[in-house]
Amino acid sequence: MMVKKLIEKVEGEAELDFSFKNNKIDDVTIKFGFYRGIENILTGKPPRDALVITPRVCGICNHAHLIASVRAIEDGYRSVGMKVNLTNKANDIREFTLACELIQNHVKWFYLIILPQLEKLLDQQGEENHALKASYLSSTITKALAIFAGQWPHSSYAVPGGVTCDPTYVDVMQAESLVDESIKFFEQIMVGVKIDDILAMDSVLDLPKIGGDLGKVLLLLGSSGMAEMGKSHDRFIVFGECLCFKIGKSIPTQVSTIDTNYVKEERQKGSMAKSVTYKNRLFEVGSLARGMIAKEPMVKALHKRYKDSTLTRIFARVYEMGLLISYSKQLLKRLNLQEESCTFKANNRPMDFEGVGVVEAARGSLIHKTTVKDGLITNYEIIVPTQWNLSNGNGEEQGVSTKAMRGATSVEEASFIFRTFDVCSVCTTQ
Amino acid sequence: MKKPKLLWLQSITCNGNAHSFFNHPELFSILSHFELLYHPLLDTEYILEEVIKTQLACDVLILEGSFREKGMLKGGVELSTVVEVYAQKAKHIITAGTCATFGGVFKEADPKNITGFAFDIKEKTKRHELYFSKLISLPGCPIHPKWLSFVLLMLAKEKDIVLDDMFRPQELYGITVHTGCSRNEYFEWKVDTKGFGLKEGCLFYEQGCQGPHTRGSCNKILWNDASSKTIVGTPCFGCTEPDFPKTALYMTQTNMGIPTTMPLGVPKRAYLTATGIAKSFKIKRFEERIIKYDG
Repeated sequence: MMVKKLIEKVEGEAELDFSFKNNKIDDVTIKFGFYRGIENILTGKPPRDALVITPRVCGICNHAHLIASVRAIEDGYRSVGMKVNLTNKANDIREFTLACELIQNHVKWFYLIILPQLEKLLDQQGEENHALKASYLSSTITKALAIFAGQWPHSSYAVPGGVTCDPTYVDVMQAESLVDESIKFFEQIMVGVKIDDILAMDSVLDLPKIGGDLGKVLLLLGSSGMAEMGKSHDRFIVFGECLCFKIGKSIPTQVSTIDTNYVKEERQKGSMAKSVTYKNRLFEVGSLARGMIAKEPMVKALHKRYKDSTLTRIFARVYEMGLLISYSKQLLKRLNLQEESCTFKANNRPMDFEGVGVVEAARGSLIHKTTVKDGLITNYEIIVPTQWNLSNGNGEEQGVSTKAMRGATSVEEASFIFRTFDVCSVCTTQ
Repeated sequence: MKKPKLLWLQSITCNGNAHSFFNHPELFSILSHFELLYHPLLDTEYILEEVIKTQLACDVLILEGSFREKGMLKGGVELSTVVEVYAQKAKHIITAGTCATFGGVFKEADPKNITGFAFDIKEKTKRHELYFSKLISLPGCPIHPKWLSFVLLMLAKEKDIVLDDMFRPQELYGITVHTGCSRNEYFEWKVDTKGFGLKEGCLFYEQGCQGPHTRGSCNKILWNDASSKTIVGTPCFGCTEPDFPKTALYMTQTNMGIPTTMPLGVPKRAYLTATGIAKSFKIKRFEERIIKYDG
């Protein structure tokens, strides 16, 4: 039996074809419809125009695209022998604004998708407007971002050698105060415990202490049996050297090093999205992968009991919000405003280079590759996180989210599992 | 009184306008004036599959993203035909963002077939004639949340919005991005910035800032209630203008050292006279750092 379903409000739409066997989902084909051609648009433009164009790939993770594209240019400059050394200040400001964007993403996913969709699935809908909470924290934390980056969405304030802003302590204090407001929200509304206490947890026995809206979600997952569903390959990968994350790949027994040269993109039949593999194997990217590779004690503890299920995946992402908020506070504290914002002043920019920029976006590793000849871009490649998580597999192995949906007993259940990966249609098809 | 029915439809887009508006601190009180039929992020009365059947009534239509007549499908239906039906029904059509208004970034992927709703860059499309009496243009990449809320509240309260010849509200687009910029003194005295990463100096002369010839109130109504591109030292890229994006965005195009594009409405002769006088003075304060930290 085949069933088609249009999944909407996933930064666009995705079309899923489910095939059933013995009343359970056996396989799923994911299709993304429209290709916008950002990579082609960049061809023929000066390299720094990518800092303005690539954020327009995505309205929700535009800042990650900016940081990936500036890193690609800096990598290219370095590859032809130019010195590009960022000050701690510039580096920390970039890290701070990136962290803000991840927090914004995580909170929207939790309140616009996970909580309402789970309530709908289990027929437990209340009167509460969850979106109001998402909007509150999202506008609070992007305001902190905008103090340095000018605006969100679509800032282009990161330039080769640093950042364009030159903040004062008035700015830093305002940003700190907004981060404090976010901590209060996280503690009182989302998790019901102090931020330091949730980050110090290391055992499944700690789970009942969690309250707030995460507590509500954990209870719903536990009581419905959804907690155990959504397991996939149990393999994770993290490419982006940034924030409080570690890079590497992991299989259940070990973490090892990686090299972006083994990343391969492939076209998929019937979809405008390309799939991507590492040494021909599929890996999950995103908060769960980052928690596993950095060996965050509570993520490891949950994984030991629940494996890579919906519960571990959802917990890892909310937990990461706590990590990021607390990290962003440290970043602001240590900012030394006397350092230079941008160290690259050379007028003779290199005319020919190739560079790779990698960053951790909310949904996982984001890779930009730029090739420049005679001062113009001749080729630009963007590999987005959702290509890893939402591919249809490579013939030998099922895709990460398709495997996770396998065994679900209804289209609704499977759609919820699909959404735990946080689908971003516009990124997936650029 | 019955609330006006609001429908938000997306075409070729990055979702940036929906996310920009979602950050409006009074989002839900603004939306409370409307019956929200469909929105790309929020839970709404109808699902997309119901919307594309085109049976719903609609008073205010918000369009996000650029258009193509053929090849942009939603749920298997050609989106342009869906938009056409709702555009006829609506009393007001808001093109939210530069893509929906003029074509924007995505137009470059297929310049012949991708356009804005009523404009193709500056040229009028066939829809211009059909719908000009209902159009409100809100260009910007992305749209400024406060600009959209202003328009929505004016419509909800049945007030007239004064528009210019491209249907942009004059209150929002009658001034340039340069108005209110924290670097104005440096512009007046023609002192350019010494590079990126400084709060001192003007970005118009070398860094590519298009603020003086770009319509918009980014420096009057700040972004995220906090700042703007030019305040944080990023050039204005002219994202509200019909020809956005131009190329070589971090460099001012010059001819004999003079910016090729003049501040809006300023004759070249007037500009040269004024700047000639301004730069003949060396003013110490503008050569110094604003804040001198010890050490």
